[in-house]
Amino acid sequence: MATTAPSEPTPPSEPMIRTEPHIYVELTYSPLDTAATIARAKSPEAGAVVLFLGTTRNTFASLPVLGLTYQSYVPLALSTLLSIARSILSTHSLTSISITHRLGEVPIGEESIAIAVSAPHRQAAWRGGEEALEMTKERAEIWKLERFDGGEGVWRANRDGVMGVRVGEGDDREKRRGSYHLQD
Amino acid sequence: MTSVKPPPGHFALLYFAAASDFTKRNAETIPAPVRAIELFQVLDQRYPGIKNKVLSSCAVTVNLQYVDLDGDDAADKELVIKEGDEVAIIPPVSSG
Repeated sequence: MATTAPSEPTPPSEPMIRTEPHIYVELTYSPLDTAATIARAKSPEAGAVVLFLGTTRNTFASLPVLGLTYQSYVPLALSTLLSIARSILSTHSLTSISITHRLGEVPIGEESIAIAVSAPHRQAAWRGGEEALEMTKERAEIWKLERFDGGEGVWRANRDGVMGVRVGEGDDREKRRGSYHLQD
Repeated sequence: MTSVKPPPGHFALLYFAAASDFTKRNAETIPAPVRAIELFQVLDQRYPGIKNKVLSSCAVTVNLQYVDLDGDDAADKELVIKEGDEVAIIPPVSSG
């Protein structure tokens, strides 16, 4: 197995952000700014703010994970995140919602996803935040590559929780790392 | 960052995660038109075994819209992939 550490993709020239009133969704190659995520959700109309941080874990099925890399089909994932945010905002009558997911290499212990929601009262905020995370994991077009001790890389699949597909031998992974943008 | 602009008479095809591992590429251009329902067969000729090993668990988008090709009465059964389209193979996702 000769899966090498993927190189950092070139940061995109334009921000990967979609916004509309009360909604903010973003993909970024930079470390997540959790204070900014909370600040975006806060409002004088909201008595409750719930923040979820997903951090990268150092094991999968008790095997040591050396590193993780996220890949995305950016324009499609942004549309999906916007659609999820609209749905959650409406279903739970939230005041606002912010979903940010990191791409590229994410060191162990750092945040890969930050979701903040606010609502007039706590029940809606708890439930809306949880549902936003579950829908994102189920639908957003983002893929996680876990690299295990020995250099083996595995693409995870949230749907079934199994190991996913083992990366082939001797491939030129560096060239294939990163994300796609539509050409305007 | 990879941008794909297909030459005349072609469409762009993007691969992600397990699909890009199998094809050893992120993207390519393929002569158009291709009937959407025949896409997996076309790819299996280029990459023998990909249909059963990878594509069978993947979805397909055309110009950022998911296509429905399952079953005899599938909504997009008659869809044709045209010159300039952007098509993507979408393996099971794993965000979070």
